[in-house]
Amino acid sequence: MKPEFICFWSAVALYGVSTFSYIFGLISKYEKLFLIGLYTALGGFIPHVAAIALRWMAGGAGVNPFITISESISFGVLMAVLLYLITQFSIKKIRPLGVLVMPVAFILLGWSGTLMKEVASQIAPALQSYWLWVHIVGATTGFASVLIAAGMGVLYLLKDKNSGGIYEKFPELQTLDGLSYRYVAAGFIMYGLMIISGAYWSNQIKGSFWNWDAVEVWSLVSWLIYGIYLHLRITMGWRGRKLAWYALLALAMMIVSYWGIPFGAETFHAGFRIEHN
Amino acid sequence: MHTAHAKGEYNLMNEIHNLPDFVAVESSLEVGNRPAGIITRIYRLLAHEKLALALLIAILSSCIIGATLFRGRQAGELIFSTLWFNGLLALLVVNVACCFFGRILGRKLTLISAGMILFHLSFVSMFAGIIYNSLFHFHGVIRLTEGETLPSGQPQSYDRIDQGRFFDYARLKGQTTLVRMQTGYKVDGLDKRVAYEIAVGEEGSKKQGLVYITKNLAYDGFRYFNDKEGYSILVVLHDKQGRELFGAYVPLQSLKQKDESYLYTTGRENGPGTLLFPQDRAKPLFNLQVAYRPDPNQERAGDVFFQARPLGKSDAPPAGSAIEKSKTAVGEKFDLGEYFLSPKEVRYWVGMSVRHDPGLPIVLASLWVGLGGMVITTFGRLMKRRRDDNESCEQ
Ligand code: HEM
Repeated sequence: MKPEFICFWSAVALYGVSTFSYIFGLISKYEKLFLIGLYTALGGFIPHVAAIALRWMAGGAGVNPFITISESISFGVLMAVLLYLITQFSIKKIRPLGVLVMPVAFILLGWSGTLMKEVASQIAPALQSYWLWVHIVGATTGFASVLIAAGMGVLYLLKDKNSGGIYEKFPELQTLDGLSYRYVAAGFIMYGLMIISGAYWSNQIKGSFWNWDAVEVWSLVSWLIYGIYLHLRITMGWRGRKLAWYALLALAMMIVSYWGIPFGAETFHAGFRIEHN
Repeated sequence: MHTAHAKGEYNLMNEIHNLPDFVAVESSLEVGNRPAGIITRIYRLLAHEKLALALLIAILSSCIIGATLFRGRQAGELIFSTLWFNGLLALLVVNVACCFFGRILGRKLTLISAGMILFHLSFVSMFAGIIYNSLFHFHGVIRLTEGETLPSGQPQSYDRIDQGRFFDYARLKGQTTLVRMQTGYKVDGLDKRVAYEIAVGEEGSKKQGLVYITKNLAYDGFRYFNDKEGYSILVVLHDKQGRELFGAYVPLQSLKQKDESYLYTTGRENGPGTLLFPQDRAKPLFNLQVAYRPDPNQERAGDVFFQARPLGKSDAPPAGSAIEKSKTAVGEKFDLGEYFLSPKEVRYWVGMSVRHDPGLPIVLASLWVGLGGMVITTFGRLMKRRRDDNESCEQ
């Protein structure tokens, strides 16, 4: 087995252990399991970085490992776990945050493993643009951010329904609500950056900044969904439970629009497929 | 709970709603105590913030339908390029503008409000840019064989044209020439596949340069992008003595076959076909199909296949095997009885998209201004929260 795959599947396995630690921690109300969850997530993050680095080194000139669907999922998950770890270590009281984040990371990464292809030997001409970098960083950090926001939403809903025991150790409802909102706002901005860089990129290659193709429309959809979130909160005064549910649903839409669409729509790469003689 | 809202979260609302917004607007519009006129009422509707939410939801639903039920071109025809959908977008802009201008008067400038102003302004200016562009733009596809020159300012030079109502052809000055097309073009070791060397403009102030996938050529407000390319065969008609009677470059279609290979032939996008030959004679001699099989090892070489049928017979291309017999290497002659046909040389043709988008800089700049506005507002809100938190701790 190639070292890249060993690292990759070790990461998947450790994220899996982390997932079960969190879930059982919640079910058994045994807090130590959250700590195991956190450290196995950290333990999985390291081989995950290594797997991506190895892939990068194996690619040809100008090739980066963020292009194919499986690579894009893997990098999105990496960013999500990174942001999650940073959040965990900087805000102390939110140990069980991994209850949503790690299962999503585990499932998505495992799924991406089944879609993995040989590393490309060359990068398609249309992708040889610096906008690709802004685009990918915007997309992945945006995803990471709204995933954490939804995770905060889950904690809110749990604490809202239950009391005593481990729930006492959760942050206050209002704090969770405010944190969730901050991560949505950050995700919305990064997502905006992704759309803008996509527009500039398209303008560089084709001379038009927007074509209403399936990928663009879907990203607009998720951007609007979070735009409506912000409106609901700021203009309509929504708070707490309703918004927590909204953040969860919005996350589901986000995942579909990122990685579900390329399977259904023939247009994902349409603009760039050059049928050359 | 409620006071916390009012202090922390609702601060933006306070900022908006504590303003004498509608009141101020109404009193300024209702000159001399007349009851609210129709204009005021329309204004009030347009400036309603619930309208924004309703429009957002309507646009969102249309987008979801356009990306699920319909696909590609169909979605464009049924939704994205329709009057009602663009009307929704325009209404959203008007709504944003009304909300914004109605409320901004007398507003204290904070980080939050400054960011909001930028965001809303960018939204409005982006659409202003789009509308301006739709009135003055020019998008054309020009097809040229290597060495060919066409007048830039004539609609006949273009295969396809999409132009704004107020676009003026006088803006397209001079001529467009395809000097040469290069395959296997590389920049810093990165494969760009093909590059077009073109010259555009008027005699004396021509601009010559390369166009490839990540680089366009800009000249006098017009940008030239690479789009597609193909082969063009110089077909020459000789008499039996070998004299050249007529010659023309015949551009070929690239038709993808079931086995993923390409067939290069005269015809249309959807299949092989014939053309009248010689074309510019009062009386052409025959319907001609030309096909080409490139030499895999040598550029601009290979075999050409002819099928000439007397005029008056059906235009339909002949069956595949008959044409095989006419295999003629580039530079050789094919005996047609009374005449010879010769594929004298192979050149490339390219289709370039020529674009004039005067509103584009406004749109692109607006995108950054909008993002900047969002960042400033969010930053301002976080700062304010921190201040509020500190104040409540001190109390
Ligand atoms: C994790 C999420 C995403 C990643 C990693 C990503 C990355 C990429 C990559 C690698 C390409 C080039 C694909 C190809 O043509 O081979 C691409 C194309 C593009 N993407 Fe994304 N993308 C993401 C989501 C989005 C979304 C949601 C939008 C919406 C604005 C978007 C806008 C574009 C545009 C405009 C193009 C050019 C394709 C075209 O116009 O046909 N991307 N993206």
